[in-house]
Amino acid sequence: MEKSQNQPAYSVSDFIAVFNQTLEYAYPNVIIEGEVASFKVSHGKFVFFDIKDAGGSINCFMTIWQMRQPIQDGMKVILTASPKLTQWGKFSLTVKSLRPSGEGAIKKSFDLLKEKLDKEGLFAIERKRTLPHIPKHVGLISSTGAAGYGDFIKILGDRWGGIKIDVANVQVQGESAPDQIIRAINYFNQQELLPEVIIIIRGGGSADDLSTFNDELLVRAIASSRVPTLVGVGHEVDESLADLAADVRASTPSNAAQILVPDRQEIIRSIHGQVGSLFARVLQLIDQHRRLVDSQLRGAIDVIAKTIDEEFRRIKSIQSILSQLDPKVILGRGYAMLRGATKVGTIIEIETNKVIMKAEVTNVINK
Amino acid sequence: MLSTSKAIQDKIAELTAMVEWFDSDEFVLETALEKYQIAEKLAAEIEDDLTSLKNEVQIVKQKFDSEK
Repeated sequence: MEKSQNQPAYSVSDFIAVFNQTLEYAYPNVIIEGEVASFKVSHGKFVFFDIKDAGGSINCFMTIWQMRQPIQDGMKVILTASPKLTQWGKFSLTVKSLRPSGEGAIKKSFDLLKEKLDKEGLFAIERKRTLPHIPKHVGLISSTGAAGYGDFIKILGDRWGGIKIDVANVQVQGESAPDQIIRAINYFNQQELLPEVIIIIRGGGSADDLSTFNDELLVRAIASSRVPTLVGVGHEVDESLADLAADVRASTPSNAAQILVPDRQEIIRSIHGQVGSLFARVLQLIDQHRRLVDSQLRGAIDVIAKTIDEEFRRIKSIQSILSQLDPKVILGRGYAMLRGATKVGTIIEIETNKVIMKAEVTNVINK
Repeated sequence: MLSTSKAIQDKIAELTAMVEWFDSDEFVLETALEKYQIAEKLAAEIEDDLTSLKNEVQIVKQKFDSEK
């Protein structure tokens, strides 16, 4: 290295190295917000774009794997990067992470990723698995300090008991949140004793807060989980890609607890209602049996009465016939009975309806 | 705790089957009262079990803020 006026003379590459060291010391990580321009992906691996505002523009470089949410020209983003002077003397930002900024950009990025993952079938209904009726062991991924976590635990406890809940305490917003949640998903999926369900919850927040759940790698981790997933993020109106990739979507953390288990109070009411109705049912069945026996008895009585009636009618008919054969009835019709021998000179007895008289036979003629 | 939870579901299934018996062709009036008393006792047991069960929350020791 030559010296001039006590000033060291650098080689070009040394100067670049020293300059980069200085930059790294002064700005190890810079966070910059601006608009994307000239976005392009080279060889499917390297991403180049400019970040700009009204007063300036800087070249940016990153790998495709670091890009967790889609971006395109005109989109406003916040990036974390380290500044660098390349060996060609070009100033550039090496981007470590990047996310859309502002409602318009977040929505645009959400739509782009949704379309991409939908085409891959990550949200297909056929992929959805049902959750176990009442799980006994679940893995819960949330921030234990968040209100949504407290709501979930309380409502779950109110509704059901006897569940082992393993909680992975993670950040649910911010730059590192997606990776933490992915690690927690992997953790539960690698357990020897797998939980029956993995539940991911987070309460409401701004679109920016909830953008964690639109991270591509996180959405893919949820979709590929061996253990069925239940995701409840934000409020009822919020929709995240994590929701769409989950086996079951809950509208809120509280709703996740409602989906996961039945309400024990409802079950208690139901079983008492069922048992109570049994008593009424038995009474009803006894009444049915009584009516049946009554009906059978009435039938038997009817048969007996009918038989008796028939016998009475037969006896009356016999009585009627017999009455026609009574000699008194015949005498009443004007006939007479005659007793004695039918020989001339004998005395015979003649009986009519009213008198008995004697008479002598004076003549007998054979017919 | 887990086995008790299993028992609750078994008991609920048993009670459901018993209730269905009352509407089935197998119903016999002579044994109905006895069955009703068993069902009543079972319902009380289920209520006790359901009321007393608590969930067990355990925070996983592993940290997730960085790769291991």
